[in-house]
Amino acid sequence: MGAPGTAMDSLSAALKCNIIPNQEYLLQGSVLDQYVEVLLHRLRGLCDNVDSGPESFQDHELCFTLRAANPSPTSIALPLRVRRALDVADAPWQLRYVGQQELGDKSRPTVVRSSIDMACTSTIVEFLTELGCRVDFEYTARGYMFRKGRMKITVSKIFKVGGMPNKPEGLEPISQSYLVELSVLAPSGQDAIAEDMRIFAEQLRPLVQLEKIDYKRLGN
Amino acid sequence: MGVTILHQFPVENRTGPAVIELLTKRIAALGAVQHGQFLVDCETYSSVPQLGHQRTVHVLHNSEQPATVFSLLETGTKTIPLATDGLFDLLMMKMSSFYTSKKQTKAESKGPRFEIGDFCVKLGTVTVSSNFKGILVEVEYRPCIVPQMCWELMKEFLQGFLGSSVLSNPPVYFQNKMNDVYTPIDTIHQYLEHFTIFRKSPAGIRT
Repeated sequence: MGAPGTAMDSLSAALKCNIIPNQEYLLQGSVLDQYVEVLLHRLRGLCDNVDSGPESFQDHELCFTLRAANPSPTSIALPLRVRRALDVADAPWQLRYVGQQELGDKSRPTVVRSSIDMACTSTIVEFLTELGCRVDFEYTARGYMFRKGRMKITVSKIFKVGGMPNKPEGLEPISQSYLVELSVLAPSGQDAIAEDMRIFAEQLRPLVQLEKIDYKRLGN
Repeated sequence: MGVTILHQFPVENRTGPAVIELLTKRIAALGAVQHGQFLVDCETYSSVPQLGHQRTVHVLHNSEQPATVFSLLETGTKTIPLATDGLFDLLMMKMSSFYTSKKQTKAESKGPRFEIGDFCVKLGTVTVSSNFKGILVEVEYRPCIVPQMCWELMKEFLQGFLGSSVLSNPPVYFQNKMNDVYTPIDTIHQYLEHFTIFRKSPAGIRT
């Protein structure tokens, strides 16, 4: 029996063979509260999990940034997100790095961004805080998840955390609409999936317009 | 996964391979059968000065849990454990401008892995930055997860093939933990404690 190779060796080999799903293809859109039922109905018809119905979820997400104590204009910041299920008590927490998004030109149907996604223990919040990360913002998302082949479709309502104390459940929605996301996590270079996503997004029109969202334009 | 005790076996004036051969003979005489090899490694990263006070992240892998990466963050006042999927190594590369590794400190323990009844025994040759540092014997008693309930039995087994180098008291790591449930991160803690001492010792002189 051969000696086990080091974990770093197998990681380098996996990187070389390009089997690590480290790219996220993404389209986003939104739908007003009053029309969400129609969209859910449509998705139930289009997606794979027809019999079991959509999977519901309620997640809490914390968005951290690791940056130098005295940031200079040239210093880089590392964004990290921690997500946990509020409705499944013993599910592992998720840690995620999401890189700068590439919009590409018009011929590219989706946004592409690098992503490193992993399950982790619940010590992650204390770990990141002591590592030097600071919380930028947090929210909870409640909604449904659908699957269509490799594609993942989520329809979720975003709430402020802590919100207004006199509100029932203490949850204050940030808008009167639902966020709709269509995404695939794949190894780099699998651009064919983006075309499948464009075709799928086409089928949801005009209920929801899934697009490449440019955050830089939204920010200011 | 059961209770695991890590024991440093004195090398004295022998070479590493000679000690492994000696222990292999002893354990085989008891009826142990070799089941492959094992490897535990540790890479240590330090925070850059721009990040404020110094912090250290130890990233460890254990071939017994091949899909997991274990990290221990030392802040100076406390140690925070974290277990993640394998991609954490990729994330550490992303952090290379905040946490840098000292290449000369890469420590590992590797060697043959034996099974004998309810016990799993690993004979590890420890190297720090490829220099031989000593021998670590790992013994796991698999049916039990509470140290208090199996320490006496494990001690007897350990003394049976390691002789008088095994002390009659549980290792320091187990103090205040004798009645806790044992988990894989406890094994990682023990390895890190030994690696830290090995790193500080001059080449091959820790006996």
